[in-house]
Amino acid sequence: MKQFVIIGNSAAGLSAVEAIRSRDKDSKIIVLSDEEHPSYCRCLISYYLAGDVKKEKILYRPESFYKDNNIELILNKKVTRVDPKKNRIVCQDKSAFDYDSLLIATGASPKFPDTKGIKKTGVFGFRTLKNTMDIDGLLAVTKSACVLGGGLVGLKVAYALKKRGVDVKVIVRSNQVLSQILDPEAAGLVKKKLEDNGIEVVLGEGVSEIIGEEKEIKAVKLDSGKAIGASLVIVGKGVSPNIDLVKNTDIKTGMGIISGNTLATNIENIYTAGDCAESFDLTLGKLAVNALWPVAVEQGKVAGSNMAGEKIQYDGSVAMNSLEFFGLPTVSLGIYNLKDLQGYLELKTYDRGANVYKKVVLQNNLLVGAVLVGNINSSGLFLKLIRERIDVSTLRDKLLEDNFGYPDIMDLVKDKEKLYV
Amino acid sequence: MRSFMKKLYYDVKKCLGCKSCELACSLAHSLTQDIFKAIKEEKKSLPRKKVHSSKGNNYPVSCRHCKEPKCVDACMAAALYRDDQKDMVVYDQERCVGCWMCVMSCPYGAIRPNILTKLAIRCDKCQDKDEPACVKACPTGAIIWCEEAEVKV
Ligand SMILES: Cc1cc2nc3c(=O)[nH]c(=O)nc-3n(C[C@H](O)[C@H](O)[C@H](O)COP(=O)(O)OP(=O)(O)OC[C@H]3O[C@@H](n4cnc5c(N)ncnc54)[C@H](O)[C@@H]3O)c2cc1C
Repeated sequence: MKQFVIIGNSAAGLSAVEAIRSRDKDSKIIVLSDEEHPSYCRCLISYYLAGDVKKEKILYRPESFYKDNNIELILNKKVTRVDPKKNRIVCQDKSAFDYDSLLIATGASPKFPDTKGIKKTGVFGFRTLKNTMDIDGLLAVTKSACVLGGGLVGLKVAYALKKRGVDVKVIVRSNQVLSQILDPEAAGLVKKKLEDNGIEVVLGEGVSEIIGEEKEIKAVKLDSGKAIGASLVIVGKGVSPNIDLVKNTDIKTGMGIISGNTLATNIENIYTAGDCAESFDLTLGKLAVNALWPVAVEQGKVAGSNMAGEKIQYDGSVAMNSLEFFGLPTVSLGIYNLKDLQGYLELKTYDRGANVYKKVVLQNNLLVGAVLVGNINSSGLFLKLIRERIDVSTLRDKLLEDNFGYPDIMDLVKDKEKLYV
Repeated sequence: MRSFMKKLYYDVKKCLGCKSCELACSLAHSLTQDIFKAIKEEKKSLPRKKVHSSKGNNYPVSCRHCKEPKCVDACMAAALYRDDQKDMVVYDQERCVGCWMCVMSCPYGAIRPNILTKLAIRCDKCQDKDEPACVKACPTGAIIWCEEAEVKV
């Protein structure tokens, strides 16, 4: 009997497990996680902190999932080394597991800058349910907090803290929020929404020091010399892939673990998926890490299917972000900001009255990116056009119209239409 | 019992674009189920089906309950899942946080956000009725409710 070992019990790992089980009911599957909780919706921890989502709803799969699917789940187990030569993984506690086929779906961890004082108690990353509960435990005595970084996670945690009555300021080094997913125009609209709702955003400022006692933070000192009082600091400076366990092995890494188009690594029986994986990015045309929930799920599915014997090719990932703050829906796809890129064309509309901003990015008549704020109804169609690399020259005048709909792309997409007869 | 295998098909030649289906859909999913009261509901019921026009034809668009649904893969709250027995994508509104990941990933543009309720607007094939409201409301018979093998025009 084959033995599958899956390191990681989250989006990528479980989607692989489900893909394996739908094809193979009998083989042994072992899932390992270094967290103490069964799988939960990682992206909902800010909603949980805010009180918008109750604890029972944060589980990603029902508690019976592992038993129902005959899966051995081992929690609190940190894998420290993969040994491809012996087909074995070794854990921190020296226990070891042999595999016939291995999936590394270890995700990512928050990056911490080496700012002075960053190791003090009261400075948190925001990635796990444990982080969330630790922060939650302090809120009763927290009046003011600083969030370092204006990315999606930073803004979400700022929203949660505000909702819990904490006075919160977001300190952003760049000149806009969400610089990794939005252009300055769209970011301006989101920032205004946050500020209108009491979340203060400080742009263009770095943090030079976290001031206070070892166990009690007092303030955050900015590069400009100004200090902002805070007893809680959350770092939202992006994530880096969890790849220590393959360092000094034959498994190839770059930013993440490098995967080919079956999501196998350079070692035939070792696959990778999700936030720890570096794979082909369709719009960039090169390897990249797209640390996103839907990408982790789709990669896990392909990896799991192939581990169970299929030969599915993964076309590549597309950066895709959907967010909503205070009733302002926003989507970003693929290439969102040209900055100094050459050879692209942007088409935009901005309806100030309605607070609707839409932009598409074209490259040689292919849609390669989009930013939508206020009206995101076309976003799924855009994603389809981007994924299938469809020539959109006949659609150029329609793309940004409010009534742009599936019938406009129906004859261009790959699947043959079956419902319209 | 109602057949789970039935799907919505559309005879495009017959669709006039009158949007009776949209209206019937909104009403069927309103709280009061009464047209005069429904338009005054605080969180107005919005149609789960939209008629789009392209090249002179009209096409009603709504959730197709895909076999490999992208929305389910993308749902970060596990609020959407596929029920193979019912042959549909089921939506647990209690779990939904309104992140609009499903809207972003639907290749048919068939899911829209309801900003007021923070819920996704998508076809549920009128689960609680003997047949979908849009089918009954279509004055020209352009909306066909049948199993795949039975489709004919
Ligand atoms: C607050 C927050 C909000 C987010 N919002 C969004 C959003 O709106 N949209 C979006 O697309 N994405 C969002 N994300 C990102 C999303 O959560 C990730 O992309 C997704 O969780 C990646 O899934 P994964 O399975 O690759 O890794 P992870 O979810 O990180 O899971 C990794 C798993 O591996 C285990 N593991 C790691 N190292 C080891 C080891 N050495 N030994 C054993 N087990 C190990 C962990 O315990 C865990 O089970 C958000 C993330 C956060 C934190």
